[in-house]
Amino acid sequence: MSAHPIPATNRDWSRLVGESLKQHGAWHTWAKLLEATRVYPGDLSLRGYIEILRNTIVRDFLAHPKGLQAVPRLSAEFMSNFDRFNLNAQEGYLVSLIDGRLDVQKLLILSPFDPFNTIFSLARLQQERAITVPQ
Amino acid sequence: MTFALSLLDQLPNAIAVITEGGGVEYRNHAFDEAFGSDAAQWLKEAARAVAGERGWLHGFFTDSTETTDVEIEGRVYRIDKITRIVEDRESPAVALSFEDVTREREAEQAKSDFTAQIVHDLRGPLSGIQGTLEFVLSQDAKLDALYSDLLREAQRESERMMNLVNEILDFSKIKSGNFAVESEPIRVAGVLKRAVRSLQSVAARDEVFLLSAHGRDVPQIFGSMEKLTQAIINLISNSLKFTPRKGVISVGAQIERSNDVAEAIVITVTDSGMGIRADEIQTIFEKYKQAGTRSLRGGAGTGLGLYIVKQVVEAHGGEVSVASVEGVGTSMILRLPVKRAA
Repeated sequence: MSAHPIPATNRDWSRLVGESLKQHGAWHTWAKLLEATRVYPGDLSLRGYIEILRNTIVRDFLAHPKGLQAVPRLSAEFMSNFDRFNLNAQEGYLVSLIDGRLDVQKLLILSPFDPFNTIFSLARLQQERAITVPQ
Repeated sequence: MTFALSLLDQLPNAIAVITEGGGVEYRNHAFDEAFGSDAAQWLKEAARAVAGERGWLHGFFTDSTETTDVEIEGRVYRIDKITRIVEDRESPAVALSFEDVTREREAEQAKSDFTAQIVHDLRGPLSGIQGTLEFVLSQDAKLDALYSDLLREAQRESERMMNLVNEILDFSKIKSGNFAVESEPIRVAGVLKRAVRSLQSVAARDEVFLLSAHGRDVPQIFGSMEKLTQAIINLISNSLKFTPRKGVISVGAQIERSNDVAEAIVITVTDSGMGIRADEIQTIFEKYKQAGTRSLRGGAGTGLGLYIVKQVVEAHGGEVSVASVEGVGTSMILRLPVKRAA
């Protein structure tokens, strides 16, 4: 018997991701797909499903009524208890740029990272409640 | 002679049974008639190459090949595998049928050359129309709103027509076998940047966010800058057709490493469009195949775009895949090996 689980077909991933998105949302599904890549490292389509989830997260962030003109702010929780947040280097750098005046468009210009990953990191900071993006 | 072999001997097709060990076990009457006795020697040499896992015959023994074209003394033969014989034998054998398709291939080549010439001739005037429209639209302030809208529509349609013409040209090159990939060093980050930049204005017009998702430290590969750029442009153009207003298209690159050495680059073009039905995902890279989903803008294409992308990537020694969730989005994934110059 094989030591590796039988890989899901592309068709299965499509159905599984669709159902998980409906039931658990984009962040949960994204985290589950990251776990799946460790089990199926050679599955090229899995990379695509992860990107679809990241794309969905970025689209939802940009769906803010003010779009790129939205101004992120550090949350009260982050200001008082920032060591609780487990930020990676990219998120840490972006947090250092957030001053409550710069909008997303300006953050994209100042960020040394590519636009997509900058917005994804902002969305993650918002998800972790390190920042808020008032309407 | 067994009944089966005597039956083969009466067939009009040239048939030979070749063993994996390198022997020609049987050839029928039509085979000798078609090729003469010299061919038996040639077949023996080709069969011997199987043992060393070289040459076109190998695929027939590994079950991966069902048909192939081979040139023998200036003529082209289509070789079909009738069956793989493994039962009650020490080494496997294959029964192959040989058909002279020289005239068919010559006709295909002539048709392909003609198409390529016509398409090439169409591109010249079409470029002129596009340039003129671009110039007139740059004078936007002097145009009234109705004319401006009509000209933009004309511009959109001319872009579509240029895409169709380019796809047919690429396809005719693939069909005629003139699809060799140059081996120049390519900065993949530069390819992606160029492709994104060329469609940024179209994305802005359609109110779609077109975002780069890659850093600058993507290693270089060897291949054709022009063909790879065109493949990425094809994928982004496709995404633009299916992504609604306020949607996102991202173009990313990730590096696959082994022991800290870059082995491959995985490029993804991902959209938040309508997605592809689960039962259509596997066939999307076939020629003339279009997903049942109707495009939001730009109308129907030739159904060749993704087929051409697959050919380009495979010509670079890579592979393609697709991920899609209906109603959520689609991601096209290209994996390109990082080859090093000798």
